[in-house]
Amino acid sequence: MNYELLQPDSLSGAMEALAQHGDEAKVLAGGTAVVLMLQQKLIAPTVLVSIGRVPDLDHIRTEPDGLHIGPLTILRDMERSSVIQRRFPLLAQACGEVGNVRIRNQATLGGNLAEADYASDPPTALLALGAQVTATSVRGARTIPLEDFLVGFYTTDLEPDELITDIFIPASTPGSRMTYLKYKSRSSEDRPCTGVAAIAAFGAKTCTDLRVAVGAACEVPQRLPAVESLARGQALTDELIGEIAAGYADSIETLEDIRGSARYRTQMIRVHVYRALEELRNGHR
Amino acid sequence: MAIGKSVPMLDSVARVTGTVPYASNLKLPDMLVGKVFRSSVPHARTIKLDVSAAEQLPGVVAIVTAADFAGDDTPNLHFGSTIQDQPVVAGDRIRFIGEPVALIAAESVVIADQAMDLIELEYEEIPAIFDAEEALLPGAPVLHEAFPDNLLGHSKLRRGDIEAGFAAADEIFEEVFSSPVAQQASLETQVAAARWKDGKLTVWTGSQSPYTVRRVLSAIFDLDVEDVRVIVPPLGGGFGGKGNIRTQPMAAALAWKVGDRPVKLVMTRAEEFLTVTKHAAKIIVKSGVKLDGTFTARKVTIYWNAGAYASSSAHLVPAGMLRALGPYRIPAGHVDSYGIYTNLPIAAAYRGAMSSQGVFAHESHMDTIAHRLGIDPLELRIKNLLRTDDIFATGERLHDIHFVECLEAAADGLGWHEPLQRENGTVKKRGRGVAVMMKNTIANSSSECRIKLDAEGRVTLYTSTVETGQGGHTAMAQIAAEALGVPIEALTVIGPDTAETPPDAQTASSRSTHMMGNAVLNGAASLRQHLAEAAAPILEWSPEDLSVADGYVFVTTQPQERIPYAEVLGRKNIAALTATGKYWTNEGKLDPETGQGISTPDWHQGAGACEVEVDTQTGKVTVLRYHSASFAGRVVNPTLAGLQNDGNVIFGLGASLLEEVAIDGGQITNPNLSDYMLPSFLDIPVELKNVSLEAEGSTFQGIGEMTLPPVAPAIANAIYDAVGARIRDLPLTAEKVLRVIHEQGEADDEQ
Ligand SMILES: Cc1cc2nc3c(=O)[nH]c(=O)nc-3n(C[C@H](O)[C@H](O)[C@H](O)COP(=O)(O)OP(=O)(O)OC[C@H]3O[C@@H](n4cnc5c(N)ncnc54)[C@H](O)[C@@H]3O)c2cc1C
Repeated sequence: MNYELLQPDSLSGAMEALAQHGDEAKVLAGGTAVVLMLQQKLIAPTVLVSIGRVPDLDHIRTEPDGLHIGPLTILRDMERSSVIQRRFPLLAQACGEVGNVRIRNQATLGGNLAEADYASDPPTALLALGAQVTATSVRGARTIPLEDFLVGFYTTDLEPDELITDIFIPASTPGSRMTYLKYKSRSSEDRPCTGVAAIAAFGAKTCTDLRVAVGAACEVPQRLPAVESLARGQALTDELIGEIAAGYADSIETLEDIRGSARYRTQMIRVHVYRALEELRNGHR
Repeated sequence: MAIGKSVPMLDSVARVTGTVPYASNLKLPDMLVGKVFRSSVPHARTIKLDVSAAEQLPGVVAIVTAADFAGDDTPNLHFGSTIQDQPVVAGDRIRFIGEPVALIAAESVVIADQAMDLIELEYEEIPAIFDAEEALLPGAPVLHEAFPDNLLGHSKLRRGDIEAGFAAADEIFEEVFSSPVAQQASLETQVAAARWKDGKLTVWTGSQSPYTVRRVLSAIFDLDVEDVRVIVPPLGGGFGGKGNIRTQPMAAALAWKVGDRPVKLVMTRAEEFLTVTKHAAKIIVKSGVKLDGTFTARKVTIYWNAGAYASSSAHLVPAGMLRALGPYRIPAGHVDSYGIYTNLPIAAAYRGAMSSQGVFAHESHMDTIAHRLGIDPLELRIKNLLRTDDIFATGERLHDIHFVECLEAAADGLGWHEPLQRENGTVKKRGRGVAVMMKNTIANSSSECRIKLDAEGRVTLYTSTVETGQGGHTAMAQIAAEALGVPIEALTVIGPDTAETPPDAQTASSRSTHMMGNAVLNGAASLRQHLAEAAAPILEWSPEDLSVADGYVFVTTQPQERIPYAEVLGRKNIAALTATGKYWTNEGKLDPETGQGISTPDWHQGAGACEVEVDTQTGKVTVLRYHSASFAGRVVNPTLAGLQNDGNVIFGLGASLLEEVAIDGGQITNPNLSDYMLPSFLDIPVELKNVSLEAEGSTFQGIGEMTLPPVAPAIANAIYDAVGARIRDLPLTAEKVLRVIHEQGEADDEQ
């Protein structure tokens, strides 16, 4: 562990440090993932760029188009934010389910996304919400839809010199119901075996819009628009819910790890998509 | 009266505020950092080990390899508490992934890490074997030439005519159970610091067995035992993993090579998994039963996977034999307990050692039998449980037996006889289960202590009982305070430090409160005698006419004629009175062919009963309620005893539901506490209750483990009760439960 720690106190300072050191540098936010990787010698950066002193990276700001969240916002603040609880309760749920309170008090949203660990909760909720990530470097800023940001197993679209500077959640249809179901196959503080985020808008009798994202069971969280569209204009009957749950279970290529085999995860996707939709239909939040 | 009171743990404030002087935090002047270079292959012949580049690195002070043990005047490479098969560092042979090959002493961790990268090891791989049963097959790779069939021990129990027993049975049941490799997972990892001075060795270490460490180190370095000093500060957990001898030889060898500076070696969490594990076991239980639930015979075969070196397996394999049949009246009983070498890290004691695996087997098996015969599982047990004066399978007559009371206390606490609402219209189903355990303790061991009373009336207890966090020192202080008639505040407990505190076998097998507790009683009795003798001339009575209690020496017939302890010493001008106490047992010489004899001074007894909820769509099991009971004989500290009982249950939830060391080709793939899963506080049953049973005239009995082994079978039995799924291999994961529920469903559909 031989690295230099930089603690720039401005965004431009952080970006310049990253531009200068490129592949050799590693961004440090809450450190819950970085420190473990350093200890296990999975990474060997020569420079750690801590962004803890960069101002205004931990905002939760409501704007007309939606909600802007700073990457340094800790998950505990996400969980407890009244704005998030009111407008995007599934995101508060997903952040509140992460690990344990000690982790949530330290782990940041930006770190969670940049880490792109498949066994995570917030990305699945954010995918269902249609979130976008802003990445900034000395070369400028670009906005990336989350589905393009999360590329694969521990892989994102970020360039080595880019920082996540904002996470944007567009306003959702008023009156939408939403939920996040985390399934832990092991202890109550474990990472997810599967996670299901579901958002539904309802008309008088029928569902007008449905978004379902499934994560942790696969390399990156996934939505299946074709399956979601089965619900549009339909009443969410047991049968239809079952069909959608089966659609997700059948289409998603699941992975195997210590929390469950690929086959088990397919079963769990089916069970939890069903449960999530049942919950939305029954009107709970 | 200090005994029977829930006095707070003596170091409770220090534990909570983080000021306990753990060995991990030890800093000695000029101390160097030790690091271990390990093998990355499971079985190999070493061709060349080149540490020269690493040695040249500035800041590297010494590197130890097997070559340092090659001369005449060098330490001995091999050690072991029973079988000396383990090298301090691997020599010409590597036997598991993660085996120490070279040791580095450096000025800093960073330098030591850099040195690691400069070490070059050339080897030739040879076939490896990981499965214990397969290791016994002809043609299997051999780990140690002295053990050509990889069998390090085979313990046999033979009682009655087994074939006649099976022939007399109405039904025969045979089942196979397995438990995986697990890890003790103490919060504090293994640590040893060593320093040499004038040819004498001092070691500071987190160990449950300071005197074993002293003996083995003196053998490695050809020293008199007095020239090895072992100091053990309070531990951050032991759970069996810190018993026997672990990292101490490596630290001592590094400091020996360095010469004049101390070296400290602390295992990382990943290294902890390479240092010690729990035995994986495969257990075959076969029982012959009459339709009325009477047993005619039971045969148990156990394959213990000991890993690459014998270590404590040499004495644990016989213990596993004794615990395998279960606490039942069975006229014919045979057990074969095999300890087997494989190319895996060393297995050793794990809280409830060699009991948990066997109890999971025989208690699950009892329910299989009960269900088939249509007998209530509790009733089948109570009908067959051993009672005082019964003859056990070893031929010994049993005394102080309370299995029935333990089991009934747990079952009644749960409300076994009350109706259970199994379903509530959801996908969740509930069920209940019970289990009971028996365990022998170390049959021939001794404990000694020294007690000093000074002229201010303060009492110092010198004991080698290790404070592992269990409250051992508090219990000893309570016993001493009561036996001497002084307030607990007058007590200071010192030790272990082999230069200061007298020998004790070890802090293991739940023996301390019983063994050291009685040694303290014995020492206190002689200190009272010394007081009476010292006071006799002052009071002008003979010592026989005097009593010693509540801080006074007094005339037995005229209690008002009395004199405080401190005054006795003051007036006689004695700085301090000192007495030693000793307690020992001398059993356990069993016939090697039949296992007949007296196996233990006392039987450890415990039981559990639980209610679980199973999600039939995910297989996930939630333990809602758990009641445990242990036989404590006489409770020293009700709160601490209760915490042992409850702590066992919480600890046991891990091995039951979650814990499994994942191994791929000999490589541990989850050596961290994110992937190796321990229970969290949120997993603790909402209703968790315990009882420590006492008995008139009984002495202190060990309770450190008794409520642990029943946890897995009680849960497995409750799962069966809830959803009809019998799982025979631990842990009881959601996925396994769901698989069996589905298989069950398919089988039902076919009918
Ligand atoms: C015990 C434990 C349990 C956990 N359980 C869960 C769980 O149940 N569910 C779950 O979802 N997660 C879980 N996690 C993961 C945890 O949520 C993440 O480790 C955490 O969110 C990462 O955030 P951080 O601020 O600590 O990131 P760091 O460790 O500082 O960084 C993580 C990665 O992100 C990069 N990075 C950080 N910030 C930025 C940025 N602004 N721009 C670009 N790159 C950046 C870093 O370079 C690094 O690659 C758990 C972690 C632990 C240790």
